Amino acid sequence: MTWLAPLAAGIVALSTIPPLVALYFLRLRRTRRVVSSTLLWKRATEDLHANTPFQRIRFSLLLLLQLLALALVVLAIAQPQADMGERSAARIVFLIDRSGSMGTQDMEGGTTRLEEAKRRAVARIRQLHGGGLFSGPAPSVMVIAFAREAEVIAPFTTNAAQLTGAIESIVPTDETTKIADGFELARAFTTVTNPDDASATPAEPPSYEIFSDGLVADVALCALRPGERVVYRPVAGEQQANAGLGALAAARTPDHPDEVEVYARVINWGHEIRRTDLELRVDGSIRAVTPRPVEVPARSVATGSTVVAPGESQVVFPSIALPSGGLLTVRLLEGDALPADDRASVIAPPQEALTVALVGRGSFVLRSILGAMGLATLDAFSVDEWNSKIDADSGTPDQYDAIVLDGVAPNLVRRGRYLIFGPPPPIEGIVPYGSKSNAIVRGSREGHPLLEFVNLDELFVASMHAVAGGADADAIVEASEGPLVLTVQRGPLTAVYLTFDPMESNWPFQRGFVNFVANSIRWLASGGASVTDEPLTPGDVAAARVPAGAAKVTWRSADGSTEALTVGSGSEVSFGPLRTSGVHEIAWEGPANPAGARAERVAVNMNSREEGSVQAAESLDFASERVAGVVGGGERLSALWPWLLLAALAVLLLEWWVWLRRV
Amino acid sequence: MSRPTTVDELIDSRLMARLDQLDVISRKIFTSKIQGERRSRRRGQSVEFADFRNYSPGDDLRFVDWNIYARLDRLFLKMFLEEEDLSMVIALDVSASMDAGEPNKIDYARRLAMALGYIGLVNNNRVSLFAFGGERLERLSGLRSRRRTREMGQWLLGRPIGGEAQFGDAMRAIALGGQGRGVLLVLSDFLFPDGYEQGLKYVAGRGFDLFALQILAPQETDPARHGLSGDMRLVDSETQQEIEVTASSAVLSEYRNSMEQYIAGMRDFAVRRSISHVLVETTLDLDTLLIDYLRRRGLLA
Repeated sequence: MTWLAPLAAGIVALSTIPPLVALYFLRLRRTRRVVSSTLLWKRATEDLHANTPFQRIRFSLLLLLQLLALALVVLAIAQPQADMGERSAARIVFLIDRSGSMGTQDMEGGTTRLEEAKRRAVARIRQLHGGGLFSGPAPSVMVIAFAREAEVIAPFTTNAAQLTGAIESIVPTDETTKIADGFELARAFTTVTNPDDASATPAEPPSYEIFSDGLVADVALCALRPGERVVYRPVAGEQQANAGLGALAAARTPDHPDEVEVYARVINWGHEIRRTDLELRVDGSIRAVTPRPVEVPARSVATGSTVVAPGESQVVFPSIALPSGGLLTVRLLEGDALPADDRASVIAPPQEALTVALVGRGSFVLRSILGAMGLATLDAFSVDEWNSKIDADSGTPDQYDAIVLDGVAPNLVRRGRYLIFGPPPPIEGIVPYGSKSNAIVRGSREGHPLLEFVNLDELFVASMHAVAGGADADAIVEASEGPLVLTVQRGPLTAVYLTFDPMESNWPFQRGFVNFVANSIRWLASGGASVTDEPLTPGDVAAARVPAGAAKVTWRSADGSTEALTVGSGSEVSFGPLRTSGVHEIAWEGPANPAGARAERVAVNMNSREEGSVQAAESLDFASERVAGVVGGGERLSALWPWLLLAALAVLLLEWWVWLRRV
Repeated sequence: MSRPTTVDELIDSRLMARLDQLDVISRKIFTSKIQGERRSRRRGQSVEFADFRNYSPGDDLRFVDWNIYARLDRLFLKMFLEEEDLSMVIALDVSASMDAGEPNKIDYARRLAMALGYIGLVNNNRVSLFAFGGERLERLSGLRSRRRTREMGQWLLGRPIGGEAQFGDAMRAIALGGQGRGVLLVLSDFLFPDGYEQGLKYVAGRGFDLFALQILAPQETDPARHGLSGDMRLVDSETQQEIEVTASSAVLSEYRNSMEQYIAGMRDFAVRRSISHVLVETTLDLDTLLIDYLRRRGLLA
């Protein structure tokens, strides 16, 4: 119980109750009654009152009722609020969790935890602003929504309508939960003092109120600063069991490139074994269902540890023919309270039917690698043949998905997609300045599509060309002596340039070289776009290359909303963050892409391994302290003064009735 | 009991029959202008011999004892006990304070006055009635014989009730009114703001055989038992003065003490002046009062 205005109530009590009691000392309302003579009554009362300035107060029901009514009014003025906890700080930061687990539909009426958190946050705003005449100014509140990243929804304000509107506008995401960003963001707003005023007092730390289910990945890495007070308001139902998809992958079989195999990993966070059927859809049509329910073991805790590990089970669907690729979606047929992780999608690219030109010496290693890629065609040319072919038809390079220049430099490299080994090509911006020897890798662009499954730790280059890349050249792998791998993307030209002859290094003897060549051919064939076939996770930002001249590029989110995108230089668009799981699509008008489509899809899957555990945490274990949840504190924080006033009114009515009966 | 409106309601035949056997006793013998049926201590013209005295010129020769003259040759007059009529004066308080109580004090007082007057009339006494209340003093005098009963009753019924009792003035007027001497019955509650002492002194000093019949309602003698409670503003029916009273047990107890002291004080006053003080509560049955109570007090026989 908290009193918002105890001082006002004290003043009112002191100024009203004593006078009321004094009135009863001094004078009562009396019944008029005619008697034959007051002679003897005078004598009787004179004797009694002779020496008493005040009559001794007697029990009076009216006085009792009036005191009760007054006490209720005084209590109402004090504005009690149940379950208010400690007195509110001047500034409060609401941290509202909108991560994937908050989508669990285990609240009253089947609503999600996020909806309930928003409802409680709005109710809390009403309580903070519902004080009335004597409560003083309402605290300044900031609203931050956090999931994988934090976002300020409303800056510090005392405007209840603005805060309520901001809270209502929070949309659910399927992202992971990280709260450190939220604290950093709040501190950035609260600790900045006037830099011009050296004597400025540091701002008082705000009070944080966290509306979450407590499933925060990085809470143990967060330390609260001195003076910071955290109120954790758990928002969760009784739901503990949940199953979902932890991973989904699709791959073409080496023997039958037109077929695709789909692998799914089912995660079970429940305490009991879960049996569920899975279905596989291709572009919305059911293609397969597991012949019998998949049995997923229950969660377990490793001996000597408190870390809970989910039960896992892997499912492999039979190969399906999918030469032209498509959208593969796997779904758990037995739904549960968290539907977001019951479904996962992956885009299967079309069967590769690449045409590649190999110009130059055509080393055995390269021939072997390209031959194993299952290309549609592999045309080999000498450098002279290539030069004459280009002279005859300058559009020749466009006929090939990739052109491999093996140790040669043709006369003209202006358009087309090239994988170049050895001598510096005649590309503007690549300036050779000699040669270097004995180079080892100093750095590489981790995560670049070219380097997928490529280990460069053992790479040693005996001799390399020293080149300086231009503004549009991007060094992917660098040695101390200069770049080892460059990419150049300039209009119709895309090139991957290896500044050394592989035969001058130990790379051909490593598996990474094979992957590098294959990655490069695919990357070049896809136009250099960074859209990967790997599904994205919620919160990622995606990028894609649209054909030159594409207009009206729009992003249709998985939840159906659309947004217009601006095409950057190099016909590249980026969109996101992709907050919800599902299939996102960008579409454009104008020229089609090499695949003949005017749309590109990406799949975003929520990883049940990270957000699937829906058993709410009773406390938040920060690095510095443990904050226990304030259970139920959100609902009963209503102001009691209207009820007290009603009760006072009822007592007054009763008092009036008693008075009428007496008169 | 409803308020009497007819003479028959004031006194019924059954009571009249019982009252026929009663007579008023005076403790003194009074001179009167006419001879009555009563043996007086004054010697005079009655058949019963009392004494002799010397003749003096002018005496009635009819009363000379000629036998004494024959034997002694001196004239003596025979003195006889004079038989006088009794003058019965009833003074009735009709002030506002008497219109109170349950049974009502004025109704009770009227019935009592009627009964006493009837006894007087039946025994051929000279009955005079006075009613005092407010500034007025009304009288009905010279009643004698049973035939005047109805007249007396109607007079009693016709007296208006109200006003502040001017007891002193009323008693003084009665004392000086030449009513002769006799029995004076004052019927009142004697709750006068100015006190009863002065008024009684006026009549006590005139040789009346004085009876002060103090009539009180039970609500006055014990208000707590008759529903008086709570916080009240009491209004005096005569003076309209108000007094705030909280009927606590202490106050009620104090009131009872005051009432007892008041009655005791009046009784002492009466005893010292040979006044018969009779306290009558209106719940007392009239038959019992007349036939038993007042007989024992020596008023009736």
